[in-house]
Amino acid sequence: MLKDKIEKLLLNVKTPARYIGGELNSVVKDKNKVDMRFAFCFPDTYEIGMSHLGMKILYSLTNERENFWCERVFAPDVDFEKLMRENDIPIYGLESLEPIKDFDFIGFTIQYEMCYTNILNMLDLAGLPVKAKDRTALSPIVIGGGPCVCNPEPIAEFFDMFILGEGEEVNLEVYDLYVEMKKKGASKTEFLEAAAKIEGVYVPAFYDVTYEDDGRVKSFTPNNSNASPTIKKRIIKDMSKVYYPDKFVVPYCEIVHDRAIVEVLRGCIRGCRFCQAGYIYRPLREKNTGVICNETKSLCESTGYEEVSLSSLSTSDHSDIENMLVKLSNYTEEEKINLSLPSMRIDRFSKELMDQIQKVRKSGLTFAPEAGTQRLRDVINKNITEDEIFRACKLAFDGGYTAVKLYFMLGLPTETDDDIRGIAELAKKICDLFYQNPNRLRGRHIQISISCATFVPKPFTPFEFEPQATEEEIKHKQEVLLDATRGNRNVNVSWSKYRVSVLEAVLARGDRRVSSVIYDAWKSGCKFDSWDEYYNYNAWCDAFEKNGLDMNFYACRKREYDEVFPWDCFDYYVTKQFLIRENKTAHEAVTTPNCREKCAGCGVNRCIGGPCFD
Amino acid sequence: MTEKYEVRGVFEKKGRAVFISHLDLFRTMQRAMKRSGLPVWYSEGFNPRIYLNFPLALALGVESGCEIMDFEVVRQMPYDEMLDAINKVLPDGIHFVSMSAPISKNKEIAFSEYEFRLSSETLSPEEVSARFDKMMSLEKIEAEKHSKKKGMILIDIKPNINVISKEIGDNCAVLTVQLPAGQELNINSNVFIEALQKYCGIDDLNISTKRTKILKNDGELFV
Repeated sequence: MLKDKIEKLLLNVKTPARYIGGELNSVVKDKNKVDMRFAFCFPDTYEIGMSHLGMKILYSLTNERENFWCERVFAPDVDFEKLMRENDIPIYGLESLEPIKDFDFIGFTIQYEMCYTNILNMLDLAGLPVKAKDRTALSPIVIGGGPCVCNPEPIAEFFDMFILGEGEEVNLEVYDLYVEMKKKGASKTEFLEAAAKIEGVYVPAFYDVTYEDDGRVKSFTPNNSNASPTIKKRIIKDMSKVYYPDKFVVPYCEIVHDRAIVEVLRGCIRGCRFCQAGYIYRPLREKNTGVICNETKSLCESTGYEEVSLSSLSTSDHSDIENMLVKLSNYTEEEKINLSLPSMRIDRFSKELMDQIQKVRKSGLTFAPEAGTQRLRDVINKNITEDEIFRACKLAFDGGYTAVKLYFMLGLPTETDDDIRGIAELAKKICDLFYQNPNRLRGRHIQISISCATFVPKPFTPFEFEPQATEEEIKHKQEVLLDATRGNRNVNVSWSKYRVSVLEAVLARGDRRVSSVIYDAWKSGCKFDSWDEYYNYNAWCDAFEKNGLDMNFYACRKREYDEVFPWDCFDYYVTKQFLIRENKTAHEAVTTPNCREKCAGCGVNRCIGGPCFD
Repeated sequence: MTEKYEVRGVFEKKGRAVFISHLDLFRTMQRAMKRSGLPVWYSEGFNPRIYLNFPLALALGVESGCEIMDFEVVRQMPYDEMLDAINKVLPDGIHFVSMSAPISKNKEIAFSEYEFRLSSETLSPEEVSARFDKMMSLEKIEAEKHSKKKGMILIDIKPNINVISKEIGDNCAVLTVQLPAGQELNINSNVFIEALQKYCGIDDLNISTKRTKILKNDGELFV
């Protein structure tokens, strides 16, 4: 049995509890009594995948149905992968410990571009051909979902189908259809043809792409009468009625976010122009406070977690936030549970809110001004003023905080050296504010960490037209920042590696031709590209060269407004006209009010048939 | 100061649960206690935590029928009710067999008794058993042991191996062995296994290990 083979090897690997399942609340069914077996794969390690909320929701949702069985699958760490390959152990589901090759579906949630090679590696570990065209049987169907699917073209060759948007409804429609067609003895193509008619389903094999001589996309056309020219994403209309799990699988080993998580809203009203999530998850939909409280209680009770966290793109934008926090903290204090509140906007950082957060636990304070000057913050529509930052810092220093983390991006559109120096000036002003504050914690110095990411332009944002800064430009910007912060001992500066960001940029806006590059990079050993110790930039460069493609064409090229993008056929309801309008406004350094203040006409209300707000 | 009452639980750890490390077991039990709704005592301080104490760690991969976990409750209640409450919420492979007020002190722990099942694809159980006898007839049995002060050290464990019984089981040789445990001298089951691998000369030696008893210096059970 596979289980015995696995157990024999486990004592030779790091954290074996990741590979054996059996955790509390994991779902084990009788395989002979189900119609459909689903391998839910997260293309990264257990610690990362098990922290992901979407997987928890869809795992429980699928298993609620008696005739479906969903199991979890993660990328094995390199030590275990080596042993698996040496001992002919195929990748398996953690619940049954059986090979996923024999399942009906192999589903990947695709949360970030840098996991693409892991997908290929997992398919290979399953014993399957990685390219969809080489898998001709009905099952397993390889299916993908998640934010990266808003431009799935670089990985289109490897998947049989994708699901665009939110999965709670459409996934079950697809599984039901599959069960029905499997019983009839349908072929893979017959199933895919029927599935393509479901809103939200994209079958890449049913479309042909042609290119201009210079490499830009010329056309994207269906080659199958069941496929429609554009594919709409799916949206859940009512967050208070949508399925939410009352149980989470509770891992034995430590994972990144080891706590109960309650989703409070989807979408975001802010419209920060660099932020893909802010556009592809529109419109804003809130869960009501009563539902949030009930979900918190049942999750805490069923897991025994000592911490619960509220999840959303911007929790403080919930219209009932203060009341919600009072109600929640009444419960969590009584039960000695920590309530953690990530994603709070500083302009909503009131004294009351601060007190609520303080009651729970004093940790570091993190702000994401993203840009160093007001002008550039206006360009990116990060509608936060310096005064608001100072006000929040003052409150924090009054409350005893002595560490502030600041997140910025380098290489934003229109950025100048003055904007970079603005980062250092902002840090300096926060230092001064600390030492001038009579209520500050005495005997301690302020510690300001400036962390800079390289800006990566993403599809479905107003910056989808923008070039990414080149390596030389970023190097120069980093030097300017170092110069400007030199001598200030309270400030330390760090940044992400450009050579990682540039690949992310390529994969984010790549077309189908990039599939061969990913394939060749994986063949030459690339995996865990988001992990510093495994990332092999040179191998990627070789793969691009071999395929006659240029990274800069995808990453650092300015695109005209009338260019056909690989993702133009995917309808996320946010229109291209709106993105063009926002791009122009950005270049004028003019801000757009948040959706509650004034509708910006992004187009998303087409999907709900009326205005987003009453 | 809240009134509190000490409780000693004895639990089994088997099946997939043998791969839960000691640190992970601590967290697993804290969460289970929380789910059980028992009136457990929390440590005081800024981040109150459920107080738990495991007097003797178990090596990863080892099955056990006699693990000890101490905790405290702020309200007295029948032990069988506590047993039911916790067993209802535990993951597969972990199961409490008894609860009672502790009698022995932690520092009284002196020995662990283990059952080692030795098997090989190439050798008969009798031959495996004979190889073990050969090892035991050696003058010295040296094995590496981790020392807090000195790091890895080589020690002669022969005087510490107390063979209680030796039988031929279902396609394996079954050894019942007592090894020193506790604060004075602790010989982890892995140290003994390492010696078996080193001295028996069996390439495909397969060993499954189960802790069967935790004993005091006088040979009585630690309870």
